[in-house]
Amino acid sequence: MSGSMSNQVAALELRDVTKSFGEISVMKGVNLAVGSGERHAVIGPNGAGKSTLFNLISGQFAVTGGDIALNGRSISGLSPHEINRSGLSRSFQITNIFHRLSVFENLRIGVLARHGIRFGLFQPVSRMRAVNAETDEILEKVGLLPRRDHMAGDLTYSEQRALEIGMTLTTGADVILLDEPTAGMSREETAKAVELIRSVTEGKTLLMVEHDMSVVFSLCDRVSVLVYGSILATDTPQAISANKQVQEAYLGEEPAS
Amino acid sequence: MMQTRNLFLIAVVLLVLVAIPPFLELDWQNALVNILIASLFALAFNLLSGQAGLLSFGHAAYFGMGAFATLHLMQAIEDGLVFPTPLLPLAGAAIGLLIGIVAGFFATMRSGVYFALVTLAIAELFHSLTPHLQGLFGGEAGISSMRMPWQGFSFGSVLEVYYLTLAWVVLSILLLWAFTRTPFGRLTLALRDNEQRVRFLGYNAHASKVIIFAVSAMFSGIAGGLLAISNETANYALFSSHISAQVVLQTFVGGATIFFGPVIGAVSFTLFAYLISDLTRSWLFYQGLIFVLVMLYAPMGIGGVLQHHLRDVRRKDWAQLAGPYSLAALGGVLVAGGVIYLTETVSVLFGEEYAVEIRNAGGVLPNYHLFGFQFDPSGIVTWIIPVLLLAAGFGILMKGRQAILRCWETLGQDQAESSEEAQPQGGAS
Repeated sequence: MSGSMSNQVAALELRDVTKSFGEISVMKGVNLAVGSGERHAVIGPNGAGKSTLFNLISGQFAVTGGDIALNGRSISGLSPHEINRSGLSRSFQITNIFHRLSVFENLRIGVLARHGIRFGLFQPVSRMRAVNAETDEILEKVGLLPRRDHMAGDLTYSEQRALEIGMTLTTGADVILLDEPTAGMSREETAKAVELIRSVTEGKTLLMVEHDMSVVFSLCDRVSVLVYGSILATDTPQAISANKQVQEAYLGEEPAS
Repeated sequence: MMQTRNLFLIAVVLLVLVAIPPFLELDWQNALVNILIASLFALAFNLLSGQAGLLSFGHAAYFGMGAFATLHLMQAIEDGLVFPTPLLPLAGAAIGLLIGIVAGFFATMRSGVYFALVTLAIAELFHSLTPHLQGLFGGEAGISSMRMPWQGFSFGSVLEVYYLTLAWVVLSILLLWAFTRTPFGRLTLALRDNEQRVRFLGYNAHASKVIIFAVSAMFSGIAGGLLAISNETANYALFSSHISAQVVLQTFVGGATIFFGPVIGAVSFTLFAYLISDLTRSWLFYQGLIFVLVMLYAPMGIGGVLQHHLRDVRRKDWAQLAGPYSLAALGGVLVAGGVIYLTETVSVLFGEEYAVEIRNAGGVLPNYHLFGFQFDPSGIVTWIIPVLLLAAGFGILMKGRQAILRCWETLGQDQAESSEEAQPQGGAS
């Protein structure tokens, strides 16, 4: 599938991206291209810089060098909200929701943004039919309809993770970044989460950080291995698990199942 | 059901506010004007602090500027400008909005402690700068003006000022409430919970916070304008940190998490000052004590306590709660008596007048007067009274508190059981 993508513009492309915090260089020239509609995983040992990579792409940090392009347009230097409006949305490794708002309202904030209602001061939100209907749709998609009016802070951990994914979808982005969406989940919860991610990213481009190789195998088209700030290899999951270099650097300590 | 009950309650309060004041004495009418203004100021402040989670320690700046702007407009009307007197607070609103945008732009670049410190610094800037700006702020004496008549209204009586204030405060509260129902009002709550996520959902968090700040400052400016209309004068003391602190205390005692909480705080503090400040010089001490106690034992404020008790009002067994509550109240009254006794005794014994009396008596401690009785400062009875009051009071209070907690626990269990009724019997012990 990677072959058919080479002649069109990548949905997300990183070219020689570097990042230093003072003297410490954490990204040493990352090159990565994620094709449109591809599901792509980033794996790597702890401290390899996976979260930093996500923070660079989503605009939390500015790149030190190189360029990041979204659908062929450079987004480096833009702020998080501008990047989001350009069509890239991310989730967080540590659940990052609105704890004291209802589940419904958590999702509606993003839907409102998608509709461009960012400073709506002159109409009650309850009368915005399209917005509320769309919020309910996403609520159903992520399986949280029964919890609609509960406070987000009262949800169970795996429900909060589902909400986290739901919020990422609300702004209508076609490139989705998920940061360890199944971390801390039981086997059954993980299986459910994989199905959820599969269905909600249908037709979208997905880049995810994931530790669980079984998740990567069942979900992703290609995998990139990030080790100490540079990409060691990018290939299909099968090829990556057979790669000697990768096994030494990473998988060797924890063989893939 | 909840909706209709609230609407009914609001209608009753409005009716009382409209119908009763003509029958009140002048100083009560005046007190009501001040209560209304304090309520609006606290609600405007809470839009920022309670709903957006941005605790400002300098809201006196926008309140004060609203007052000065309104006074300048009043002076212009005196000089012949044609402007309807009832619309005077618009000057306060305009200047509040304008300064709110500028100050908010800088203050909201930071959150938490840094935000609070920047707002404090901005207000202090106003406080130290304004006495030197003779032309605009009238130096230390301040500026004055007079309410000019408009159409059939002379605005000469306190009652007319009261109704004007009431109209503006009700309208403003309505708008502030409507704000919470708009998309932007919901975004305000989201910003309080998690600013980072708001940014990653495509919102410009800084711009949003500037608007919230400016709206809050605008309504503070209206409150200041109403004060200017009522007092017909203002000076730089309006910018003092005392005013900024007062609105913080009122809001938190009333309850920052409930829409009408700040009103409860503003009403009780203004009434407290009005009623108690004539009786004792220690009233600020008592006020501070109340604040500390509320923060320690009811951090959600008076409004939070009320909400806790009114929720599911029908499912509660009030007869069962009445006993423990009266017990705790009795304990509370005794403790309060002991504290007041000690506070007043201390303020007499260490006061200036008593120092003179000691000198006149040649060094021995003369008897002193308090609550219409004579006390001997070295007598045993004098000190046994407060000790007994405090000991008995604390004992009863603790007993009452335990009983109340037990009651709530069983109530909680009942509720949990009744909600599990539909399920098959499981682990219920």
